Amino acid sequence: MLSVLLIIPAYNEEDNILKVYNEIKKYNKNADLKYDIIVINDCSTDNTSKICHENSIPVIDLIHNLGIGGAVQTGYMYAYKNNYDIAVQFDGDGQHDVNYVKNIITPIIDKKSDLVIGSRFIENNDSFKSSKLRRFGIRIISNVIKFSTGTRIYDTTSGFRACSKKIIEDFAKSYPTEYPEPITTAEIIKKEYKVSEVPVKMNKRDGGVSSIRKWKSVYYMINVVLSLLIIKIRRYEKCR
Amino acid sequence: MSLKLTILLIFLAILLVLLSTHFLKKGRIPVKYTLLWYSFSLFILILSFFPGLITYFTNLLGFQLASNMIIFILIGINFLLIMSLTIILAGQNKKTTLLIQKISILNSEVHKYDSQQRK
Repeated sequence: MLSVLLIIPAYNEEDNILKVYNEIKKYNKNADLKYDIIVINDCSTDNTSKICHENSIPVIDLIHNLGIGGAVQTGYMYAYKNNYDIAVQFDGDGQHDVNYVKNIITPIIDKKSDLVIGSRFIENNDSFKSSKLRRFGIRIISNVIKFSTGTRIYDTTSGFRACSKKIIEDFAKSYPTEYPEPITTAEIIKKEYKVSEVPVKMNKRDGGVSSIRKWKSVYYMINVVLSLLIIKIRRYEKCR
Repeated sequence: MSLKLTILLIFLAILLVLLSTHFLKKGRIPVKYTLLWYSFSLFILILSFFPGLITYFTNLLGFQLASNMIIFILIGINFLLIMSLTIILAGQNKKTTLLIQKISILNSEVHKYDSQQRK
């Protein structure tokens, strides 16, 4: 039986984490393929940890804040250690819908893809697609990735993605600490894994604050673009 | 400002860019630490293309020679780089202290659990 792990990085998500967990538990009740979860508490300063322990939610409490990259890598290390076949990155703030996990893991189960990105921008639908400014930034990053790797990725910052066992090992061993989604996607493409995008719907952020703020966005853009250009000139070990 | 000096400055800027890119490519430095180096290289490059600027400040600040002004600027840049290193180091120190403390606490809890198990 295939084993699937949902990696849920969480920083100060006391408002949402229980709701997210209950939705996954509800889904698992009627599912053939049940999802395991691991919450990575990135040294939250609120009651996230307390809520997890009180409700028996599997959680790893990081003893120091590492940021999204470090937290998610911890999840991949856990997935690798426990021999999971598929790992899914799932937000702890309620933006992702557990019903769409099936859509992003199916291409991996069918061996058609190694990394599947849940994309907000493939199909035209009315669901929440994030602010105009963010969409503009995402498009710039998409163009730079196309320049660096030759592949067009539409949702470059989506934190909703699934990967195969081989990539789990890859990520467990090395994962960027900042701006991980566009960078790892570009690196995975350069290593000649199969990458695909699947349309999904995401919800508007419920409570809590997004981890990217206005001025930091410019700094973020410069950093990501430069990193992606470096990826273009680096040499990578092909996976096959 | 002499042509030799201009060429030297351009050479320095290109050298810094090549070095930073080399370490970036090897994955030895993450991008955010190279940003300062790239910014200063760009600054030095701009200076070399506008020697008029350097002569203006040389006279304004009372330096005898343009080369003295340039050395002063490069030392200033070095101070800024060292300052940024100090800040990064301080952050590392804080994290290491925290790690030592938390592992020590973990250690004593494991010992306590261990001795309880033996009873």
